[in-house]
Amino acid sequence: MQHEALAHTEDFGGPDQHLPSHPCVPGKDAPYQHYALGAPYDEMFTRGGAVHPHYAALDGRLTTLPADELLRRQQACEQTFLHQGITFTVYSDNQATERIIPTDLLPRIVTGNEWARIEAGLKQRITALNLFLRDIYGDARVLRDGVVPRSMIYGSKHYRREMRDLAVPHGAYVNVCGSDLIRNEQGDFVVLEDNLRVPSGVSYMLANREVVRRAFPAVFRSMSVRAIEHYPNELLNTLRSLAPFHEEASIAVLTPGVFNSAYFEHAFLARQMGVELVEGRDLLVNDNVVYTRTTSGLKRIDVIYRRIDDDFIDPLIFREDSSLGVPGLFNAYRAGNVTLANALGTGVADDKAVYAYVPRLIRYYLSEEPILNNVETFLCREEKSLSHVLANLDKLVVKAVGESGGYGMLVGPHASQKERDEFAQKLKADPDNYIAQPTIQLSTAPTFVDGGVEARHVDLRPFILHGQQTTIVPGALTRVALKRGSLVVNSSQGGGSKDTWVLSE
Amino acid sequence: MLSRVADALYWMARYLERGEHTARLVAVKLESMVEQTREDADASWHRVVEAVSGEEFAPRAHDAFSITQALAFNRHNPSSLISSLRFARDNARQVREHLSTEVWEHLNKLYLRLQPVTADAVWRHSPERVFREALEDFHTLHGVILSTLTHNEGYHFLRLGRYIERAQLISHLLDLHFNSRPGAVSPRYFDWLVLLKFCCAFEPYSRAYTASIRPEKIAQFLIFDPEFPHSVRFAVDQVVDSLSRVAPAAPPARRANVERLAGRLKAAVDFGQVEDLMGGTIVGFLADITRQCEQIHDAVHVSYISYGAETVL
Repeated sequence: MQHEALAHTEDFGGPDQHLPSHPCVPGKDAPYQHYALGAPYDEMFTRGGAVHPHYAALDGRLTTLPADELLRRQQACEQTFLHQGITFTVYSDNQATERIIPTDLLPRIVTGNEWARIEAGLKQRITALNLFLRDIYGDARVLRDGVVPRSMIYGSKHYRREMRDLAVPHGAYVNVCGSDLIRNEQGDFVVLEDNLRVPSGVSYMLANREVVRRAFPAVFRSMSVRAIEHYPNELLNTLRSLAPFHEEASIAVLTPGVFNSAYFEHAFLARQMGVELVEGRDLLVNDNVVYTRTTSGLKRIDVIYRRIDDDFIDPLIFREDSSLGVPGLFNAYRAGNVTLANALGTGVADDKAVYAYVPRLIRYYLSEEPILNNVETFLCREEKSLSHVLANLDKLVVKAVGESGGYGMLVGPHASQKERDEFAQKLKADPDNYIAQPTIQLSTAPTFVDGGVEARHVDLRPFILHGQQTTIVPGALTRVALKRGSLVVNSSQGGGSKDTWVLSE
Repeated sequence: MLSRVADALYWMARYLERGEHTARLVAVKLESMVEQTREDADASWHRVVEAVSGEEFAPRAHDAFSITQALAFNRHNPSSLISSLRFARDNARQVREHLSTEVWEHLNKLYLRLQPVTADAVWRHSPERVFREALEDFHTLHGVILSTLTHNEGYHFLRLGRYIERAQLISHLLDLHFNSRPGAVSPRYFDWLVLLKFCCAFEPYSRAYTASIRPEKIAQFLIFDPEFPHSVRFAVDQVVDSLSRVAPAAPPARRANVERLAGRLKAAVDFGQVEDLMGGTIVGFLADITRQCEQIHDAVHVSYISYGAETVL
């Protein structure tokens, strides 16, 4: 029903009847009267306030639609999400409430050229990271050559000694990767984080496309947006290519269960691929072979797309208090009877310290220059960097490498002189434990807020598949900080998401 | 199908049947109590409480309002209406992927509609309406299950759960009427009439046996009628048929025990006759039906749900 209601509201690609006589100026004319252009790069407007050519069609639509019509389309989007149950669960007072992750009506648009660079850069990066993982769980050449310090790898809590000398199919450790990219003030895409463990969000990429395409059918049709709907099929092909045997592989998605906040995505992907969604208690291991327990008997499983962290996968090897995993699974894995995707122990390659080395790893393994840069990162273990960091503490963000969630962190510009002095002592005492980065400005993109269109900060998370081949579906999850001025895009803290349109040219 | 999924569907259906039973008993009781003397009403409330609530959670209060409140909305009572619905919904949530959107939404709506009801003015003035509406929702939900789910193995596990629960609930209800407890007030004419209404059976019974209310005819109808959906025999037929359709590829050795138990239960209700029960053996007969249902429940669990690797490899 939503479908029809939306389809009738828009002409089907004919010329617009009510083009405004003059361009609408951000910061002045509706619907952009509150659109603030500042230091960050803006996806839609140049610094002079002109519309980038690839946003012209959307601009034409936004400036001709009445404000209440935009609001109606936004509500139609939200209704669709609620009805389809695309929700995450918030727990309070023993009552589980289902909420939708806010989806912004306005698509974020990436040109064909920009995408070509992103795609090439991400392929290069995942190739190098997989070679790196194969190396540190094998000959450790990179450590012997002194490219990466030994202590950083063997001291990492994500390094899994159990993975030493274990051959994984096609040397592919990271099979599904969701890298976080941001756009710096110059408009260049840079990598902020590699998520190599169990990245999530791809279901929102697909769901956002469904609803936003319906909200702007004519604009969508006029722009030759590249398709992303084949992602589940590509994921299935990737998982198939990892099967330990050549016969028709039996594949399952392993979820922690219905109470996991990403459960919707696990179920969604299993359904879209046409494979079984299983929990740890559905699986059993006998004689190093993994089976699911079905009403008709045991059924062998060859490839498990696991959405459970390393620590919880097998209580016999890792955390013994975990009831999510499967006793004996790791031995079946070591015996080569089942493939886990992603492989275990990939987390060692996405911690903050290793991140800083990725450009060097690309040069070391591929003899190529990195196509996508990192955010500039200073490794305090290196003397030159340390003195730079100490001299510029008021401009930098300093992070402890082993910590996450904001612990052990100094945000220089917001700290007092006393705090900075105290932190400098810590830095000098244990420089190996710290990295520093400039405060990062994310780019802004047009976002529908309070009946108008305003600038909000966004990042970009494309999903990379790596089995026998590397595949990147031309699309991404764009996360948006819905609060004015906020740089926090996480859904738990007021973030939402956008559909991402990658253009053919 | 995954054993866990089959198990969740089975329990979802059992809890729905239990909730529907509670809602119907309370609705009928509330509607009929105005026509009874105080003593008869108390005795028949007592039977309702016993039919739907365990000893531990039996309400201590004597007024109809408090009893109803306890049977329907006491969250600490695992067999209250709201608890049954909560358990049904929890199970459904675990296997939402195997249900249609329509089934999930109707179940959800039924559960959510009964949430704030204790504070509702309707509840104060005409509580029976709350239960009548809940019953309508239950009936709708079963229609939605019937017409929107694929009739695959999962559906037959739902059907198995529903009818095994029904066979036990009706047996228990009959036992409360035929098995006279020492010191309790025996059922009178009006109570037999209400018993039929507890089982949606008044009109179908009248068509079969006229409106003359006779306990042995009621037993005949509610135990042995092959076509009435709330008779024990009908429920058993559904159980047996469902069992023949689940776990289609299970090896014969694992099917054997389930099929033997199902056949034995079917024989009891197919070939039993009410004349043999009226000499006082009806109580033992009903207890036997209940016990056999429990055995089938256990056998299904062992054969299809929780078997260990060592039993099949």
